[in-house]
Amino acid sequence: MKYFYQFIVVALIVTVLAVAFVPGLDDWIEQTFQGYVGRAARP
Amino acid sequence: MKKGVNVVMKIVKQAIIIFLCLLLIPATAVLTAAVKQRFADGPNRVFSGGPLVSGELHTGPEPDWSFVGDIPTIELQLLDPPRSRKIWVAEADGKLYVWSGYMSTAVGRMWKRWPVQAERDGRAVMRINGTRYERQLVRITSGDVLDGISAAIADKYPSQTSRAAVEAGEAWVFEAAPRN
Repeated sequence: MKYFYQFIVVALIVTVLAVAFVPGLDDWIEQTFQGYVGRAARP
Repeated sequence: MKKGVNVVMKIVKQAIIIFLCLLLIPATAVLTAAVKQRFADGPNRVFSGGPLVSGELHTGPEPDWSFVGDIPTIELQLLDPPRSRKIWVAEADGKLYVWSGYMSTAVGRMWKRWPVQAERDGRAVMRINGTRYERQLVRITSGDVLDGISAAIADKYPSQTSRAAVEAGEAWVFEAAPRN
């Protein structure tokens, strides 16, 4: 499990940096999130 | 027997931990994107943007709002809190209206917080076609005026916002009145 936790920490750091600096990635994430929330919010 | 149960419990516990850790990755991506948008001049899609900074501030007489019929979404910022989002807009009888659906579901109320904030303090700025307009959001909860608003909304969008939905509290409608 130790290596798994290390992998998760690295993955989280890479995720933050990628979303912050890779052009268009934040928009794709927002679009995907919008789809899930839209479906969940329907009565 | 007891040893077997312990092994199974340990495997289940580790599986849950692995699942939760993996879930952290998309959750972090969403959180990062949301925080990043807060520092932007306006919204993008669903995440709130920062204050509307760019664009000329409209002064002078009330515009002819019929031009919003060709505009799919506008940017709306409340003064308190100073966050912005993209919303649908409609014009009826020369007045400008914005609204929010999903107000009767728990997820909708968590997602759409601006209507509650706007009811508390209706001072707002709208950016339409790059021009900013200072407005006062006034909630409309009932009345015949909702028939005209609902018709204007239905003409423009595939929306289920009707007078009955508004009066039932499922959708919240605001007139974007001039701010004095």
